[in-house]
Amino acid sequence: MISAKSVASEPPDDLASKWYVPAEVDSLRNLYPIVVAINFVSLCIFVLRGDSDSIFSSSMQMIVSVVILMLLSKLDQGQRFIRDGVISISGLALLLSVLQFLSGPQILIDFWMMLWTSLPAVLVIYSVSKPIVTLWASGNQTVRSAELGLSRNRSVSRFHGMVFRHVALLHAVAFVLLPILWIVDVALSPGNSLGGEFFETVTFEHFSHILSSESFWIWTRNSVIVSIGTTILGLALAIPAGYAFSRFKFRGRDYAMFSFLLVQMFPGVIILVPYFLVMKALGLLNTSLGLILAYSVTALPLCVWMLKGFFDTVPKELEEAALVDGCNQNQVFWRIILPLSLPAVAVTALFSFLAAWNEFLLALTFNTSEEMYTLPVGLASLISSTGQAWGDFAAASLLVSLPVVILFIVFQRFLIEGLSAGGVKG
Amino acid sequence: MKRVFVITILSFLFLLPIGHASEIIGIEADGDVGYRQVGLIWTTDSPTEEGTLFEIWVSNASIVDTANATKHSEVRVGNVSGIIQPDIGEWYDDCLFDSGEGDWTPVHRDLDGTAVVSVGAIGVNCTLTGLPSGIEIYLAVKSTTPNGESFLSSSISSSSTMSDEEIIVIETSPYVFAIGSIALSVLILLFVLRWMDYRDGRTTSRFAHLYIAPAILALSVLTFYPVLYGIWLSFTNADQSHLGDQSFIGIDNFITVISTSGFFRVTGFTLIWSVVNVAAHIGFGLLLAMALNSDDLKGKTAYRTALLLPWAIPSYISVLVWRGLYEPAGALNDFLGTNMNLLADANGARIVVILVNIWLGIPFMMMSISGALQALPKDMYEAAEVDGINKFSRFRYLTLPNLKSALVPLSLLGFIWTFNMFNVIYLMTDGGPNLDFDGPGSTDILITYVYDVAFRDGAYGVAAAWSVVIFVMLVVFSWTYMKKTNATEAVT
Repeated sequence: MISAKSVASEPPDDLASKWYVPAEVDSLRNLYPIVVAINFVSLCIFVLRGDSDSIFSSSMQMIVSVVILMLLSKLDQGQRFIRDGVISISGLALLLSVLQFLSGPQILIDFWMMLWTSLPAVLVIYSVSKPIVTLWASGNQTVRSAELGLSRNRSVSRFHGMVFRHVALLHAVAFVLLPILWIVDVALSPGNSLGGEFFETVTFEHFSHILSSESFWIWTRNSVIVSIGTTILGLALAIPAGYAFSRFKFRGRDYAMFSFLLVQMFPGVIILVPYFLVMKALGLLNTSLGLILAYSVTALPLCVWMLKGFFDTVPKELEEAALVDGCNQNQVFWRIILPLSLPAVAVTALFSFLAAWNEFLLALTFNTSEEMYTLPVGLASLISSTGQAWGDFAAASLLVSLPVVILFIVFQRFLIEGLSAGGVKG
Repeated sequence: MKRVFVITILSFLFLLPIGHASEIIGIEADGDVGYRQVGLIWTTDSPTEEGTLFEIWVSNASIVDTANATKHSEVRVGNVSGIIQPDIGEWYDDCLFDSGEGDWTPVHRDLDGTAVVSVGAIGVNCTLTGLPSGIEIYLAVKSTTPNGESFLSSSISSSSTMSDEEIIVIETSPYVFAIGSIALSVLILLFVLRWMDYRDGRTTSRFAHLYIAPAILALSVLTFYPVLYGIWLSFTNADQSHLGDQSFIGIDNFITVISTSGFFRVTGFTLIWSVVNVAAHIGFGLLLAMALNSDDLKGKTAYRTALLLPWAIPSYISVLVWRGLYEPAGALNDFLGTNMNLLADANGARIVVILVNIWLGIPFMMMSISGALQALPKDMYEAAEVDGINKFSRFRYLTLPNLKSALVPLSLLGFIWTFNMFNVIYLMTDGGPNLDFDGPGSTDILITYVYDVAFRDGAYGVAAAWSVVIFVMLVVFSWTYMKKTNATEAVT
């Protein structure tokens, strides 16, 4: 029964006040499910601690958070009453979380849990009581203020999004760094204690012990021989093949390329047992050569694909010009293509070096005598059924992984590009 | 009997006022009982009371207190009625006890496999398994009475002298012959291909076959040959004592595989392990990639570098570090204010290994998805924003469908990798807890169990059969997955 007149009298701009929800409210609605989830995590921690008082107060908090979440979703224009309710219940949540913190053991994780229960409550009180939200909730806003609010929302929600990003990333970084910090602490603490205060007493005894132990140097020597051997042999096999796949059309090319892909799909396990027996029969167990052969072939498909990808980016015209000038195919490869793609070759070399340096399963299976352990197997043997030399292990693992990590971080862009050229695209 | 009774009474009279545990007066070790085994005999000064617990501790240095040692196993003194008493050789390890009459009786076994000896035993003789062979190890026994009194015996050193495997001289010539003939046929094949190219008048690729020859040769000799050899092995009775003279036994090995007591359990856990891990890797990787995918994010490089660390650190190191964190005395309990021993509990250990693998795998997915996200057209999002599409809908209807072409192969690759992730489980739990004689432990996945079958039991043929079964599973899964995802792609 809408008359033409009433439609005309209602300005189309009024959509603004229908659509308008302050960005603060929107962000809080997105935030609170996360708060409830973290409340649940805290509850789980209290259950694991078996602390019945905290379990009770934590479940209370969770209920309060759920109530806030429900009220926030109900909050709308002209709902002044709900706005007041949200603020007062958030006050309750704040009180509960502070009380909980004060009564608990107050270690770092309690502080984190307290932040996750109190800060959102503070945010609710602060944002919902802002004049702009109050105006909206009381239903007194004009079309003009709604329009202004809509344009303001864009920048405010962008700011909120950025804060969200930082919070999420900081949590991820903390999760990543926790074990790393801990191992640094173990390496620097006396004895083999695994717990206790962080960095209570600092000692370098584990470092000097591991550096003066003979076996550590034997393992390092083995690892260096194996990794360098793998890199050289792997490149010697992969460079010509990558070049041929990149440049030549020849009979059997597609089948050969497919066979390289197929090998990448084979799970290592299907090869492990026969590999072991063949190596045993050929007397290659407990030798560096056996591992070098195995590693260079394992890494071969990926290296070939990586190098093919790199060679593809070298312009063909260069070769054609060289051929016209009288070079033969071999000279073109050695004098023009190889020097040009040296950086790519370096990245591939780094890749196969790292793969050999970090490999564990084959080294564990093939080289069982302690004289021939590589670093991975040697370090793992520090923590075994008979030894729990955590301090030495921590020191050694820092020494072993630091150069590798630095190399990886410095060359990450190239490594990842190469991997995605070889692995994912292929 | 009467004499024992008198001694019991006397020793009780003598011991009760002080209330100390039965002292261990004699301890002997024998390193010559089997591969990676040491026989340990200890005797007590008095018949043991009910509830006494013997703990066997192992270390690579002399044991003065148990802080620098690892607990190997326990023997309990208690009521033996109603529990099984396996004969010698029936159980994974043999354990006997001396009830005071000079005869050795096999112990009873608890539901969880703990040895239980009858009250009054004065000596125990157990075979300790799973010890490293060839190196000096120290053993000690600690006895604890129900009221908490404990006594640690002096430590004794021994080494398992039985060598890794029997020295079998394998005939090398068949292998050399096989490798040689494969290499020769590959060379001939390449030569024929080259000749056909020549016949067709292709001159630009004169060296192509020469260039690929080394790689193809290496691949066929060191990958295709072992794979085929492995398939053949799965039909033979190859094991530690039949090497070189293994014979064809049909599908017996596959029947052994299927009828392994934990076959469905270990397959089920492998599937759970892979699916949960890949889902978490993709989920968290996507979340972090989207969080990083902003031009004006402050500290982006720092975040990226920090988040890459789990990928940059050698995985065996990270896994061992996590294992230390989860130890009962480790930092996790300090950090959470709890007192858990997750690795000793079956479900706890399962959750823990999955968590560790999630930690390891996120950076790879994050970086891969990051690359794919950057390739998405920006104006698409701007248009959507102008149209008032909210963030969730933008993610659901723009980001996800556009990422699908990258996510499908990534998830498949991730699945295959996770399915074959050996390091995490081997180094965290070695398949335990509840490692039994015949069957996988609680956290064993297929590949760690195959490793045990091959290199702990020495059953190479059965292990090869397991490998073939795993390979078939992977192929079937990958194929179905590709089919399914392609099918939905055609619909949308």
